[in-house]
Amino acid sequence: MIPNTIRQRLLVIAGLVASSFVLASCASTAPTCVGPQSKNLGTAIASVQSSLMDGCHAHFDRYYSDLLSIAEGDPKPENKREFSQFLVWSSDKGLLSNRQAEDYYNRYFNVKFMSLKGDYNNCSHTCPNKQKVLFDMERELSEKERGLLKVSLDSDGYYRADRLYQEVELVLEATCSACSAGR
Amino acid sequence: MRSTARPLLSVLLIALSTLATSVTLANTPTIRLFPTTVVEDLRQTGNVARDMETGLQEVIGRLDQQQELYQESKCDGAEDDSGCQRLARQIGATYLDMLTIMEERLPDMEHTVNNTRLSLEKGLRNELGKKMTPWTLQETLVGGNANKTATQSSPTLRGRSGMRLSERFKQYYQLVATSGAKGDQSLAVLASDIYLDMEETSLLIQRTRQEISRATLMEQLNQSFGIITPEMIEVVGGVKAILFGDEESQALVAGPPPGSVEQAYRSPLEK
Repeated sequence: MIPNTIRQRLLVIAGLVASSFVLASCASTAPTCVGPQSKNLGTAIASVQSSLMDGCHAHFDRYYSDLLSIAEGDPKPENKREFSQFLVWSSDKGLLSNRQAEDYYNRYFNVKFMSLKGDYNNCSHTCPNKQKVLFDMERELSEKERGLLKVSLDSDGYYRADRLYQEVELVLEATCSACSAGR
Repeated sequence: MRSTARPLLSVLLIALSTLATSVTLANTPTIRLFPTTVVEDLRQTGNVARDMETGLQEVIGRLDQQQELYQESKCDGAEDDSGCQRLARQIGATYLDMLTIMEERLPDMEHTVNNTRLSLEKGLRNELGKKMTPWTLQETLVGGNANKTATQSSPTLRGRSGMRLSERFKQYYQLVATSGAKGDQSLAVLASDIYLDMEETSLLIQRTRQEISRATLMEQLNQSFGIITPEMIEVVGGVKAILFGDEESQALVAGPPPGSVEQAYRSPLEK
């Protein structure tokens, strides 16, 4: 027969042990979502993939930027493929929609501007928002500078994008002037 | 510069005719920015510009000689001298001749420039403004070959403000000559460039016509005093620069991208 005092002490100890188990299990489920530590792009991508699968998908933007920074440290044309595969994986895992994946890729690694999209004609849609369209394109051009030039060493691609920006600016100026003259 | 301006205009017209033919005959272009009317208007503008140039060339040559004589005779600072006053009146009279020629030729010039502008305006509004979305416009400009080398893909754009007439035509010729066979992307840029240029030219001609009346009146008054005003020299210098070029300002040409890398990879995500 165990005396009451000892039983009470045992219950207290058991309670403490149980609480510590509960606390420990809580700590392991909450993701820390730290950025990739490796300077190797492949390793960093693997680390990010692991974090994303562990519930850190809300931090996708930050991870993508971290990966770009790591790739800037070792720029080469093959990096384009690495990013493409990472985005396709993200889309396959349901972390991004297909359109989001395209947007992430094309903003940084394609000559064409994602900010120049729209389903209506230029006179009715683009011209009234010309300044905003050009502003968005300019911002996207700096993203292309990072992706094409600094990450992939694709200087041809970047300069073509820069030139495309200038051409769009000129053609929109003329077209919008012609549109407004016809009203 | 003077001797090259006329052949260039002729070559420009031939090139534009060729461009029109190629645009009309070829099945590939989907946009029609240079129909025959636009090319005809451009040809007419070129002719009028050449006529004005021819008419002014002789007068400006005479003005140059008279100004040289005035300076050699050390008339600067000796305006009270009767010989110098006579020279100044001669210069003033030649200056009036120049203004008269411009006054006579500018309405034709204004008319043809406006015709060209209006034709291009219609084409740009319909073909690029109403028939295209921003994305299709972009695809037209890229020409379905986004990864092509920047320096070889299409002619380089030039600014318009402050550009001289002869230089402008020379550049149009170069742009047309190199873009004719390359499809819609060059034509869209070229049409836009010419249209904005014509818009600006049209405005300048309007202002010039207004100013000529005032300058003529002023010079008629000055004739009685036999003086050369700084404004006169400035106007003559400006007209010379417009018609015969200014060696100092060369057209800007975009530099090649620093280094190039083979780009074989194409992502399945690429639009």
